[in-house]
Amino acid sequence: MNVLRINGKETSFDENKMPGTIADLLSILGVDSATVVAELDGRIIERANFAATTLHDGQNIELVRFVPGG
Amino acid sequence: MLEGAPFAGVPFRFMDSISEKLSCMAVGIAGLGGLGSNVAIALARAGVGRLIIADFDKVEQSNLNRQQYFTDQVGKSKVDCTIENLRRINPQVEVVGHRVKLDSGNIPEIFAEADVIAECFDTVGAKQIIVETVLSKMTQPIVSVSGLAGYGKSNEILTRRVSGRLVLVGDGRSGIDTCEILTAARVGIAAMHQANAVLEILIDELTTKTQSKEEEI
Repeated sequence: MNVLRINGKETSFDENKMPGTIADLLSILGVDSATVVAELDGRIIERANFAATTLHDGQNIELVRFVPGG
Repeated sequence: MLEGAPFAGVPFRFMDSISEKLSCMAVGIAGLGGLGSNVAIALARAGVGRLIIADFDKVEQSNLNRQQYFTDQVGKSKVDCTIENLRRINPQVEVVGHRVKLDSGNIPEIFAEADVIAECFDTVGAKQIIVETVLSKMTQPIVSVSGLAGYGKSNEILTRRVSGRLVLVGDGRSGIDTCEILTAARVGIAAMHQANAVLEILIDELTTKTQSKEEEI
């Protein structure tokens, strides 16, 4: 079992279902990557690198999702 | 009486060390719609020394339901109108206006001298770009907003610190795509959360840093 802390909440994944990258995680969550800013262990990950950034057990990820209006 | 300096002769309790500190600080305001036009006014009234404002748009009739402009300003540049309005409120504030569309290329240059940046855009794409750009290419804190559409549910609009340099205001879900309307009241609540968060960072965090630098010298 792998665990990711997503927006402060621990989420468990079976070994074979752990998302490999940030892009994979967003796809599992059903979130459009164009609406999100991601921080992995406190470091900002640019959207262009979502597919290249691998995730590991125990990491802390903050996903800020924007909705329109201002 | 009261010519020039708006607070001259007024026993204004806020004219203390805090306003002295604020008068030396600069805030970047990205977008001058419902959020930015309100944030600019709150920060000018608080006595922030310099506001760096940017927007490419003109005032439209449909903006008047929530944005701080007037009927005789329809058709004029939002930057020009904001400068005009701020001058009437507090002429001591220096306002630097940029009539441009902000993108990841020009954001670092335009807001280089800001101590804090307020993200006041309406579209998701623009919000994403500026927050990502500030966090990855700059060193300042940014106060961003997500979820302010609709009416009522005042207490669902929150201010939270996401991480070291990112503060997020809003309920996180009420977009114009799902809520149909934007109201001056609820957009205004979010804008005042945002201005208040900017002031908190300027006063509690940045002035303390400046003080400790001075002590080192």
